[in-house]
Amino acid sequence: MRRKLISSLLACSMIIASITGCGKTTTAEGSSSQEPAGSAAETGGEAGQAASGEPVNLKWALWDISSTVYYQPLIDAYTAEHPNVSIEMVDLGSTDYSTVLGTQLSGSGSDFDVVTIKDVPGYVTLVNKGALEPLDDLISKDGVDLSLYNGVTDQVKIDGKLYELPFRSDIWVLYYNKDIFDKAGVEYPTNDMTWDQYDALCRKVTDTTPGSEIYGSHYHTWRSTIQLDGILDGKNTIVDGNYDFTKPYYDMVLGQQKDGVCMDYALLKTQGLHYSAAFANGNVATMNMGSWFIATLIQKIKDGEFTDCTNWGMVKYPHAEGVEPGSTLSTITALAIPTTAPNKDVAWDFVKFVSGEKGAEVMAQTGNIPAMTNDKIVDIIAQMDGFPQDENSKEALVTSHTYLEMPANDKSSEIETVLNEQHDLIMNGEVSVDEAIKAMNEGVQAIIGK
Amino acid sequence: MAEEVYALDKNMKRRQQKRNLVAYSFIAPNFLGFAIFTLGPIILALIMSFMEWDGSNTMKFIGLQNFTEIFSDDRFLASLKNTIIYSIFTVPFTLVIALALAILLNQKIKGRNFFRTVAFFPYVASLVAVAAVWNMLFTPAKGGIMNQLLMNVFHVQPLKWAAASNTVMLTIILFSVWKNMGYYMVIYLAGLQGISEDLYEAAALDGANSWRKFIHITVPQLKPTTFFVTIMLTINCFKVYDIVYMLAGGSNGVVNKSAMVLVYYIYEEAFRNWKLGRASASALVLFAIVLTITIVQFRGEKNYAND
Amino acid sequence: MRSKKNNKVIGSVIVYIILIFLALMMLVPFAWMISASLKFNKDVFVIPFEWISKEPRWKNYIDIWTKIPLAKFTLNTVKLTLIVTGLQLLTSSFAAYAFAKLQFKGKNVLFLAYVSTIAVPWQVYMVPQFMFMRKLGLADTHLAIIILQAFSAFGVFLMRQFYEGIPDSLCEAARIDGMSEYKIYSTIMLPLSKPALSTLIIFTFVNTWNDFLGPLIYLTTESKKTLQIGLKMFISQYSAEYGLIMAASVLSLIPVFVVFLSLQKYFVAGITTGSVKG
Repeated sequence: MRRKLISSLLACSMIIASITGCGKTTTAEGSSSQEPAGSAAETGGEAGQAASGEPVNLKWALWDISSTVYYQPLIDAYTAEHPNVSIEMVDLGSTDYSTVLGTQLSGSGSDFDVVTIKDVPGYVTLVNKGALEPLDDLISKDGVDLSLYNGVTDQVKIDGKLYELPFRSDIWVLYYNKDIFDKAGVEYPTNDMTWDQYDALCRKVTDTTPGSEIYGSHYHTWRSTIQLDGILDGKNTIVDGNYDFTKPYYDMVLGQQKDGVCMDYALLKTQGLHYSAAFANGNVATMNMGSWFIATLIQKIKDGEFTDCTNWGMVKYPHAEGVEPGSTLSTITALAIPTTAPNKDVAWDFVKFVSGEKGAEVMAQTGNIPAMTNDKIVDIIAQMDGFPQDENSKEALVTSHTYLEMPANDKSSEIETVLNEQHDLIMNGEVSVDEAIKAMNEGVQAIIGK
Repeated sequence: MAEEVYALDKNMKRRQQKRNLVAYSFIAPNFLGFAIFTLGPIILALIMSFMEWDGSNTMKFIGLQNFTEIFSDDRFLASLKNTIIYSIFTVPFTLVIALALAILLNQKIKGRNFFRTVAFFPYVASLVAVAAVWNMLFTPAKGGIMNQLLMNVFHVQPLKWAAASNTVMLTIILFSVWKNMGYYMVIYLAGLQGISEDLYEAAALDGANSWRKFIHITVPQLKPTTFFVTIMLTINCFKVYDIVYMLAGGSNGVVNKSAMVLVYYIYEEAFRNWKLGRASASALVLFAIVLTITIVQFRGEKNYAND
Repeated sequence: MRSKKNNKVIGSVIVYIILIFLALMMLVPFAWMISASLKFNKDVFVIPFEWISKEPRWKNYIDIWTKIPLAKFTLNTVKLTLIVTGLQLLTSSFAAYAFAKLQFKGKNVLFLAYVSTIAVPWQVYMVPQFMFMRKLGLADTHLAIIILQAFSAFGVFLMRQFYEGIPDSLCEAARIDGMSEYKIYSTIMLPLSKPALSTLIIFTFVNTWNDFLGPLIYLTTESKKTLQIGLKMFISQYSAEYGLIMAASVLSLIPVFVVFLSLQKYFVAGITTGSVKG
């Protein structure tokens, strides 16, 4: 018995030792603010090493290798310039990516050189954990021009520091099924619509005949599809603690839901219908969704899976009265360097490449919108085989203002929990919009106030 | 004389020591692996409930702050309430149905193996498939099978099932009983094989009917199995997670307060907010509840053994 | 006499009706899986559900092997499952014997420690456990998964409860005959506990076979990954291929049923008249 006890105590102490040991090496602010200075000093040597041809292997954490078209082209483009560098992709899966990455980067034993950042709450938690290297010194040293990212990098600064560099940016647009509009004899949506005009258009094309319903609009069950329409006038953000501005948008959608213009939230939620399947069904006239859907649509139509939405188009997001068209939501995918990365300098070189101009071209050629966009990039995407041929669809990719779905805030994930819950209650018809807004205001203010 | 007693005592001690050693040698292979790789981290996790830790930065001792925080968080309180309600209904229902099924499928009937396999099926089937079928039956739409049944046979209003706050737990409980009864049936089936035929034969000679045989032989003989099933059921109910996520989370994964359960709360605290201390504190609450139930049951089992 | 016979017939008819009704309820999800496995993803969740697809896509059953290295994943899962089940069976039944049939110091406390740890959700100690394993150099190895799964408290608890049901008089008699405890375990207890061992095999097999989060956290190299991780690979960030997932799920259920059915022959009375009296 005693021996067992000793061995179990030993085990415990080993674990504690291993963890407190890790604690020391990554002790928050102190060392992480020193480290970049250190690595900046080494840069000369190691960058030289990258150029001199000593073999380096970078480990890159990402998701969905088999279904993502740009990883390999990006790597090929980089290694063509740096033949001594090899890059190993490590797929952590998309559904639990943030959990797995967070666990891998806990303590000090991780050997990832580059990690992909999937969403802002995940980014914020990693920064709070002290797991990511701040990039500001490297950015100013190498003269990276952040203005090319259209202000997005400012929205993900935490306490004035930037820990990630975006390489992919998806904007939200309004997809529509031309066949439905042709059949109903209604004019297509345009790149300059107010929300009222949009609402009227959706209602016009709706058909509520049982058995052959046509839905004028479709809102996926996410909070973003409705709540965030309200931030596009630039007057409010989603982390301020006041959500009165969401009321008109909830009212509009609830009205549509009541009149059968869009499908019922409760049904969509329990049935688990994916938005792509909903649009592919051929009875949805318009749908607001991110630009990531473009690639899926083109591919599935090519594969012969989607047969009832082959004649599609897209326009800019509707806008509030008096606001310039082209204001829309965006989501970024970014690269970051863990504080524990074994080859920080080569990693930075790779991050710079992928997020930079050359990486942007590779992204565009594979049909994805890079974070760094310009007219040339838009042209490359619009010329892609399967992209709608009308001028409006191409124009829809040009934005005037983009607002992140969730700006960086160290309470992002907690705020999101409150907002998601109230969104769910409103859409299920369990509470009134006013009650929910009150609950959101109180809930988020309590979190921010903490 | 005194020396003799001492020698005898020593002898007994030595024998007991030897017996201890033999027993430990039986336990050692499993216990060593268990202690080092599971018990150690668990103890550490429980200690963590008094710490503030995000997995990377240094741990900080903060006393009972995690506990005061979670007990003033309505999401935690809601999850505690829901978990308890869920367990109170699911444990007895599942237990009774599993036992009934096991007894039924222990008879010599045609196609016994087929029916046993079929009953076990929902437990092993893909959760997505099981939930999809369930949502078809229990859809919030008026046209759903269960709602048609409610309206036409029972003449009551249709329900919104998993989509409404007041019926979501009911839906989850029904689903869980259905999905897991086959699992506990298998345990009961194995338990039933341990009952000697002699007992039934003797009872039959005394003229006992089936009900009396069940009450006086089957139930007491199954006591160790029932102990196991009750504890495991309780633990698994308190740890319920994926069923809730699947049914109440739906296509956007938003589980609101009406269906929040403890492990979901723990998951959110641990991996969304990386507040491992708070997650551990919540787990300690869960642990305390289950430990109490286990000790009560354990006492009951020992009393039975002493009878 | 005749009425008694009639009652019996009516009784068994009712039993069969209940059983068939239950079987149908249980089989509907299986039918759903097969039906969905023959569809395009976009048609899987559409209501009304089409039970028999007009154009079944048998191609799904080919695609799953080419889109991901499913054969390799299956092989890994088979290897892990066999080793874990073997170890679990051996160590659990061994330890359970001591808990059920031997008297020793600290028995109750140790047993309670075993049982109550089952109540701690893995999510809570996953991170420290992972860091510890990585310190030992076990991250990204199959050994880590084996260690995590093979020494569970569940198996000990299950086996102990079944041993409890075996009369102590059997062991006492053997002890008086001078049999060592190891001998009693191997010649008396093990043969008597076939139904329990079968149950443990089934449960361990199913658990290891279906384990997802453990391998996901620990195994990062593609060639080491398991079947369940493979299934999730069909769910990507922007689309989920439920047709393919169901095709792979249907196939992955086959081994589970083979194990379940082949162990059914041990679900017969373990204690026979002879052994109790002997």
